[in-house]
Amino acid sequence: MPATDAALVHKIIQRDEAALAALYDRYAGMLSSVLNRILRDTQAAEEILQDIFYQLWCGASRFDPARGSLPGWLLVIARNRAISRLRRHNPAAGEEILENTVVMPFDLESTTAQQQLLARVKGALESLPKEQRAAVELAYFEGMTHSEIAQRTGDPLGTVKTRLRSAIETLKRNLQSTMSHNT
Amino acid sequence: MTNGHPTREEDFDLYVLGTLEGDEKLAIESHLAGCADCARKLAAARGRVAAISFAAPRVEPSAAVKDRLLRQVRAESQAPSRAISESAKVPARGNGREFAPPEPPRGLAGRWLFAILAPACVALLIATVILWRENSRLEKQLADLGTSIDKAERQLADAQEMLHLYTSKDTIKVALAPKPGMVKGDGEVMYNEKMGLLMYDGWIAPSPDDKSYQLWVVPMDGKPISAGVFNPATSDTAHWMARVPEGIAPKMFAITLEPAGGMPQPTGPMVLVGGT
Repeated sequence: MPATDAALVHKIIQRDEAALAALYDRYAGMLSSVLNRILRDTQAAEEILQDIFYQLWCGASRFDPARGSLPGWLLVIARNRAISRLRRHNPAAGEEILENTVVMPFDLESTTAQQQLLARVKGALESLPKEQRAAVELAYFEGMTHSEIAQRTGDPLGTVKTRLRSAIETLKRNLQSTMSHNT
Repeated sequence: MTNGHPTREEDFDLYVLGTLEGDEKLAIESHLAGCADCARKLAAARGRVAAISFAAPRVEPSAAVKDRLLRQVRAESQAPSRAISESAKVPARGNGREFAPPEPPRGLAGRWLFAILAPACVALLIATVILWRENSRLEKQLADLGTSIDKAERQLADAQEMLHLYTSKDTIKVALAPKPGMVKGDGEVMYNEKMGLLMYDGWIAPSPDDKSYQLWVVPMDGKPISAGVFNPATSDTAHWMARVPEGIAPKMFAITLEPAGGMPQPTGPMVLVGGT
């Protein structure tokens, strides 16, 4: 039976390279996908990917698997790093450690589980009206604020806010249904 | 907000998503700092929002990234431990007595001895400070060299992969030509099915702001596989290497115009295309 994330993090703290390699194999594809989607630059995406796992190697002791989800934390870090690079913004020091607590009640430790979530998220996004989906993607993958989305799409600010709120409500409902499927 | 709490749970998601601005953002930030209940809701929102990542088309990193990571980790393990070098500077017991200046010894012989040893101690102290500074400078140089070596190793790994792709008898070359009525462009794909490696080189007019170009491997059987998203906003040339699953026999390669950032499957018109 494959080792759990918590067990692998514990081994990384004890400087076990094989544990780092195992976590890399488990999550590198997931992180590479979001990094490439945001940056559209394979080389930059790979630099950040390597850096994230090196950060995990150096700071594993600061991560408490009991408090949050490792893949959730990795995704938050990956998105923040990529958006910061895209928008030439340097995140404040320590910001990432505060984001340690990411509750993600999905099992992502196996490729099958990741594929199932991938299918459900895609399904949930595709079920949104086109304008809502576009707004969510501009916010998540390009790091845009309400005003920036309004400026990009040419829609009134109020419309953008309503659109995103409705999209979030729908996604939340669909993902909660995913969680009940998983548990 | 009620008692400062956000009234709607979506506020947490919107905050995490980064769309809130100005007063809306400040209100939630100032409240979150001291509310454990809302901090829990925020953690859950982070997880929900992070799941949107799964909407991105799957892109596997090249094998070189893992190699570089493990080399970086090994290099760190082999380097002298910072902790050890730091501990060497710190006295074994931190009671302060180790740093107390020695009292001058009493008696004539003692005073002579002190007169000789005191300047020697001062000289030793100065030498220690100079050596410590030199050591810091060398440590910095070593760190800079390490970064340069890491960068060079990355370039070497990429070059080796490229060389392998160029020299392998299993590599095929496919020219991509523009579809009638589409933007002008020209490209070439080198593809090695066994290595699962592809290199694209070409030029094409920049895409509109809200669009990206996306290269696809169209297999004999099954759905197209994304091999890179690009937007030559500053230059009309593009060149990159991409990894795709090994063992995919291609029927054709195509570049389509997609919404910015690309799509899991082609949705837009084909711009350049080439068959095997």
